[in-house]
Formats: sequence, structure tokens, C-alpha cells
Amino acid sequence: MLSVAIFLPLFSALLVLVLRREKLSKIISVVSSGIVLLIALMLFLGFDWNKPGFQYEAKYEWIPTLGIYYHIGVDGMGISLILMTALMFFASFVWSWKIEDRPNLYHALFLMLETACLGVFSALDLFLFYIFWEGMLIPMYFIIGLWGHERKVYAANKFFVYTFFGSMFLLLGIASIIAYAYITTGQISFNYLFHKNLSYPIWLQLLAFLLFGVGFAVKIPMWPVHTWLPDAHVEAPTAGSVILAAVLLKMGTYGFVRYSLPLFPEASKYYIPLIFFLSLVAIIYTAMMAIAQTHIKRLIAYSSISHMGIVTLGTFALDVNALNGAIYMMIAHGLSSAALFMSAGFIYDRIHSYHMDDLGGLARYLPKLSVLFMISGLAGIGFPGLAGFVAEFLVFLGTFKNYPIWAFIAGVGMVLSAAYFLYMYKKVIFEEETVPEQRLEKWKHLKDIETHHFLPFLLILASAFLLGLYPLPFVRIVEQTSRYVLGG
Amino acid sequence: MSWNALLPELMLSLGILLVFLLELFLSRKYYKFLTLLAGLVPLFALLSLFFVHVPSKTLLDVFYVDTHNLIGKGLLYAITSLSLLASYDYFLKKEADYGELSYLVLTSSLGLSILLSSSNLALLFLALELSSITMYVLIGNFRRDYPSKEGAYKYLVMGSTGTATLALGSAFYYASVGSLFLKPYSDSNTLFLLGMFLILSALALKVSAVPFHFWTPDAYEGAPTPITAYISTAPKIALYFLLVKMSALFSQVKEWMLLVALLSILSMFYASFVAYAQKSVKRLLAYSSIAHAGYFLLGIVVWDKILSSAMLFYLSVYAFATLGSFIVLAVLEKRESFTHHFMDYRGLGRHDTLPAVVLSLFLFALIGIPPMALFIGKLGIFAGLAKVGLLPLALLFVVASIISAGYYLKVIVYMFLEGEERRWQKVKLSAGEAFVIMLCAVLVVLFGIFPSVLYDLIFNAL
Repeated sequence: MLSVAIFLPLFSALLVLVLRREKLSKIISVVSSGIVLLIALMLFLGFDWNKPGFQYEAKYEWIPTLGIYYHIGVDGMGISLILMTALMFFASFVWSWKIEDRPNLYHALFLMLETACLGVFSALDLFLFYIFWEGMLIPMYFIIGLWGHERKVYAANKFFVYTFFGSMFLLLGIASIIAYAYITTGQISFNYLFHKNLSYPIWLQLLAFLLFGVGFAVKIPMWPVHTWLPDAHVEAPTAGSVILAAVLLKMGTYGFVRYSLPLFPEASKYYIPLIFFLSLVAIIYTAMMAIAQTHIKRLIAYSSISHMGIVTLGTFALDVNALNGAIYMMIAHGLSSAALFMSAGFIYDRIHSYHMDDLGGLARYLPKLSVLFMISGLAGIGFPGLAGFVAEFLVFLGTFKNYPIWAFIAGVGMVLSAAYFLYMYKKVIFEEETVPEQRLEKWKHLKDIETHHFLPFLLILASAFLLGLYPLPFVRIVEQTSRYVLGG
Repeated sequence: MSWNALLPELMLSLGILLVFLLELFLSRKYYKFLTLLAGLVPLFALLSLFFVHVPSKTLLDVFYVDTHNLIGKGLLYAITSLSLLASYDYFLKKEADYGELSYLVLTSSLGLSILLSSSNLALLFLALELSSITMYVLIGNFRRDYPSKEGAYKYLVMGSTGTATLALGSAFYYASVGSLFLKPYSDSNTLFLLGMFLILSALALKVSAVPFHFWTPDAYEGAPTPITAYISTAPKIALYFLLVKMSALFSQVKEWMLLVALLSILSMFYASFVAYAQKSVKRLLAYSSIAHAGYFLLGIVVWDKILSSAMLFYLSVYAFATLGSFIVLAVLEKRESFTHHFMDYRGLGRHDTLPAVVLSLFLFALIGIPPMALFIGKLGIFAGLAKVGLLPLALLFVVASIISAGYYLKVIVYMFLEGEERRWQKVKLSAGEAFVIMLCAVLVVLFGIFPSVLYDLIFNAL
């Protein structure tokens, strides 16, 4: 069932490429991503969260000489992220219903991307994981490069080179632990569970942690390798930004939780100060960068980096609550950033500008959007009642217990996030008086949110409310992973 | 004396004679037929491999056959056949349809095939010369064209130096070991080291490793593109299969390791940087092959079964990717006044979608992105180097790979993300070209998804 969900989009992508019918390609993408969403939901509801370890496992021989298997399975964190991924892709396809520029290729690339993302969150074989991990590179490269804005080629190249740089280190990390396992046990194996049960000597842990870490850090992205993200976001088309922020960034933090913590426990402890330092810089520095922006998409991109800092902070606080919060935050941030990017994309669609100076007073002309934008923003800054609040609360609760000073400093970032969001909202939605007359004249005919825009918003924001108001079942699912990872 | 061991070489020789005779009597309009016929010859040789008894030796034991070099021969014949099948339309369009061409390619392959099986430096010398001399002629095929002549001339001069070096090296080897047979050796006396150094330099020249690479960009650029496809793949296969065997014999000598590692590092980095400065895609691919020479040399720094088999796997799929990309280049070049300047590649993705997509598939493969098979080769080399404790080399490999991604991407950017410079007429693919390009693309992906098919074969043969 899990394999069906993973490979259905890839199959649909091939179908889209072969059939080359524009209308049909849209229908195929929406339907197949809808089916994937349903499957993900079924798997999620059928998940037995009292059972430790992985569920829905499938294992087949692939390259036996090298100990490589097609091996997939999910735990609480995996299934939650898969559900979120499926939701995001479904929402993106609905959102892109009216795309006119080469829709066949566009949909095919997104479908390929979906397979890669679902694969990353369910692979239990390091080789398979890496294949899926790299599998997102080419589709995303073309999505940014072909459907982006003015400086798309620059952004696409920067994205590619940074991510590829990270991946190579990840590959080297994988190679190093596999070589070590081979030397000590005489067995070549890419099996995650096999490696989890080995304990590596400290020197190898320290080395491999760094190699894996560079790969993950570029993807998250952590400061100082974050500079590709604002460019990629600014240039990417809306659906591309949504997927990038909601799903692709999570692959890095997922990697830390899935691989770095359980495989290198001692090294994880050793590197806590480093990770904390980088996380705090990310939280504070990028939040301040966000305040300085006049480009709304760039602002949201910086806020993403800042929020991902909270995830890494929570991950390495090595506390069940904080880790819970971090995983929760991955999902909460996925939802809120997706909604924010959709709002920004919608504004661009109607007014053809992302610059705050060109905007202002939209509340009168786009009232529905203004409401949705506000809710999205509140979700982003962790307003109580929405998912982000629960997540941040858990992270700070856990971190404060062991590292009160770090937690306190990180808290400042939260204040900043409220500041930059409200500032942007004021500039874009209110402040009618600063807008020239003839512009206002033109805006009278603006069309507000349509159905294909509203449906994604509804799905995403409803989920954010659900997670914010009734977090218990979700926290419990995630907790299963936290205990597994921290060995509690 | 057992003729059975020579079966594939005999098939090739018979084929060469047949094509040669037919060429004497047939007029020029049979050029296509002759080329296709010549393209079938290696396939028969490939089939005959299944009837060879392994292991066996013949010709006073200088010629030996084992599974390892049979795999090399199989790949070599496949590449030769494919490059011939894809070549006819190009030469017809360029009005350079000389009938000699097809049997010259076969002769060169015969030389390489013998090279794979030589266990004696004298035979190795002869085999290498047989293939090299034919290659000089092949590169100079466009005799009215200045770059073609220049490329051939450069390769000839450099190649002769290599010949001399190999001869001198063999002499030193004989003086120190007392025999021309290649056998395990671990004592590093000066005479032996000198011999080894010279032999290795000659072979490094043929695989275009830095600092013996000077002929490569010019020869690759000057040669007719289908011939570039051939000379950038076939000789590499033969030479690396041979080098793996030599590393098994000599890598006990610690200078071997130093020397190979040095060549490898120089090639990886020099080529990767210089490639950025290129204005022509064909030259860029030439530098890419120099960089790849560096990667492959990593596989013979020390003898290790995993490392070497990963390298040979990498080499095999690399051959298909490179062959495929040069054939795409040849297809594009059939258009009037097409040079390989980057500007000519602008907007190709919109205009000639199929060649552009396939070329970028090959380029992504050369970067080493899964699911293309070259990724598994890279992974194998990483793991192999990590396993034998050469992590610093693995790190350098990573860095060089990252640097290389940029220049391959440059081509893709020009093809897909830039607007058109001028309107070209649409390219027409001949049946042979379409078949070869698609086959290479399919193999590159297929071996990526099911690498066991080829990998296990190589691994078990070593």
C-alpha cells in the first residue's frame, strides 16, 4: 500500500508525458495526488501507535551483492510527514489548476517530485533513501528554472549547486559508515535497522555526524548555508515555493531525527553547542533579516529559515518533549509556510508584484484573501489555537528544562517573528493612504479568491486548526518516534 | 596451440578482411551498407565470446583469456558496434564517406581487444600501437578541415612519445624483473620503479590523465564527432581493464600508490577548473573525460575487489553515457554551420526537444545523479576508498565531483533555460542514431535501477 502511494505519482508522471494532453494532465495530477492523499490518510488512521518500531514494512532484494534492499516502512514521524506531503501536493495541484505555460511538463515534474518526497520519508535502506533524496533535485531544478521569475536561472543553479554539495557529503557519510560496518562485521549492508543496532566508535560518529550533518544542514537550511533558499523562493513559482517550504526543507530535519540522532548518539551530544549556536543564529539573525525585507516572498523565506532553527534546536535538546515539539513543528511549519506562500503567490498573480511598496490597502479589494492571509500568518507566528503554538510550546518546554539560557535567547526570535509578520501585514493589507490613486482605480476590478484557490487554503488551514486545538492524538504518534530515537 | 582463445579476435579479423574486400569492389553509394555490415562484425565477435573456454592461454602464453577480460571485450565490442551503427548518416551528410573508415574502427578495436588479453609487455606494445595508429588516421578523417588535421597531428606526436616511453619502460622492466611477462612484484628497486613510472606514463597518456592530456581537447574537438564518440570510450574500456590487472600486480609497491593518486588528483582538479573556461560543448566534454580519467584512476590506487569492481562498473556505464552524448552532438552537427559553441545550444530544449532531453539525461548521469547508473559507480568508489582507509582521497573526489556539476549544468542551462539565438532547421535522426541514442539512454537508467546485472558480473569475475 505504501509502495503504491510512493510510485503512483511517478507512474502518473509518465502517463502525463506520454499523453501530452493539457486538460487531461491536470485531471490526472489532481486525481492521482488525491488518491495518494486518501491512501496516506488510510495508512495514518490505521496506524497502531502503541506498537513500537516501523509499520507497513516492505522488503525486497534489489542489489544483493552490495547489501541493498528495497526496504520501506514508517513510524509515527514518517506517517505524519507522509500525510502532510500528500496534502501539500494535492493542494498544489489544485492551486495550479489554471496554469497555462507548458502544463504537461509542469505536472509531470511535480508528480516526480512527489514520488521522491514520499520515498525519502519512508525509505529504510540508506541507498534507497539517497536515491529518493537526490531524486527531487532534477524536477525542482527545472521547476525553478522554467517557471520562475526574472532571475530564475541564477536561482536554479544556486539551488542545484548548494544541494548537490550537501548531498555529496551525505553520500560520503553513508559510505563511511558502510565501510566501517563492513570492516568490523564483514557484511556490507545499507539496512537502516542493521546500522541502528551497531554502535560506532566515537571518532567515526564524530566524523560521520559532520558528513551527514552538512547534507542535512544545506537542505534545512541552517545558517550559514542558507543563502540559496531566499533566492530559490523568490524565483520559484507559487506551487514550487509551497512544496519547497512545506516538504523539501523537512527532509533535512527529518534526516537529523531519523539518522543522526539514533546512529550517532554520542556525537549528537558532543555537537550540541555547535548545533545550538547555529540554530540560534538562524532564529535571531534571519528573523532580523526578515524584518529588513520589502519583498514579501523573501520575508516569508527568511521566516522559514528562522522557524527551521527552532526545529533543529528542539531536535538536539535531547528531550522527549522538545523532540516531540520539533517533529510537530515540521508539520506545523509545513502548513503555515505553505499557506503564506500561497497568499503571496496569489497577490503576485493579481498585482504582479511582491514588493511592499507596490502594495497596500488590499483589504478593501481582496477581503477574502486578507482573512486567509491573516490566519496563515498567525499560524506562522505560533498563535494559540493553531498548530505552531503547540509545537513551539513543546520545544521551549523541553529545551528550557536542560538548557534554560539557550531557550530564553531563542524565545526572543518568537517576538521578532510576530514583529515582522504584523509589519508586513500592515504594509500589504492596510495602509491604503500610501497607494497612488490610479493604482487603486485599477484594483477595483481585482478578482478575489476563486474555488481552486480556496480549496487548498481550506485544507491547509483546517489542518492547522485541528492540530492546534486537539493536539493529543498527533503528539502521541510523534512520541512513538521520539522514544525510539532517544531510546527512552 | 588453442585457437579457441582467439575466437573473438579471429571473428574481428575475418570481418575486417570481408569489409576490406567488399570496399575494394563496391562503389561509394554502398557506404551505408558497408558501415552497417561493419557494425555487425563486433556483434558476432560478442557472440563468439560465449564459446571461449576460460581461463586459457595461447601464443606462447602471451595471450591469456579469463572472465575478467572477456567482460572487457564484450563491452568493447558493444561500444564499437554502436559507434559504427550511429556514424553513417553523419559522414554522408559531411561528404566524408570514405569506405576505409569502418574497417579502420574495427582494426582499432582489434588492437584494443588484443591489449585486453596481453600478459606480456611486447604484445601489449604491439596491440596498443595497432589501435593507436588507426586512431591517428581516424581523427584526421576530415582531411580538408584544419582542426581535424591538427588534432590528428597532435595526437600523433604525443602518441609517439608515449610509444617511446612504453618501449623504454618495458626495457627497464625487463632489466629488473628478467622477463617481459606481467607478474606480481613488490620489491621497489630503482630500475623497476623507473620502468613502472614510464609504463604508467604511457598508459596515462592514452587515457588522457593530467599532465599527459594535452592532445585530448584538440583531438576530441578536431575528430569527426562519431569518431570522438569512439575514441573517448573504447580505448578507455580496454586500458582500464588492463590497469586494474596491473594494480593487482604492482600496487604492493608504495610508489605505485603515490604516483596513481597524484595523477588522479591532478586530472580531477585541473580538468574540472579548465572545463569552466570552455566555449565549446565538445571541448567541455573532452575536459569532462579528463576529469573522469581522474575518477577512474582512483579505482586502481590500491588493489581491492570492491573498489576495482565499482570502478569498472562506473567505467562501463560511463562509456554508454559518453557515447550517447557524443552521438547527440554528432546529430546536432549535421545541421549546416552548427558549431559546438554554447550560443548554438541556446533554446535547444524548446526547439529540438528529444536530443536536448537525452543529452541532459546523459549530462545529469555524468554528474552522478541517481537513478542514473553512474551514481552507483561513484558510490562504489567512495565506499571502496573509505574501506581501504583512503578517506582523504574520497573527500577530494567529492570536492571534484561538486566542482564538475557546475559545467555540466551550464550546458543544460543553455539548452533549457535560455531563449533561442537563431532559428535552426529541425534535426533529422537517422535510424542508426536514434537506436544508439535511445539504447544508451535506456542502459544508463536501467543499470541504475538494476545494477546487479552488470555489477555482479564484474565483481564475480575479478
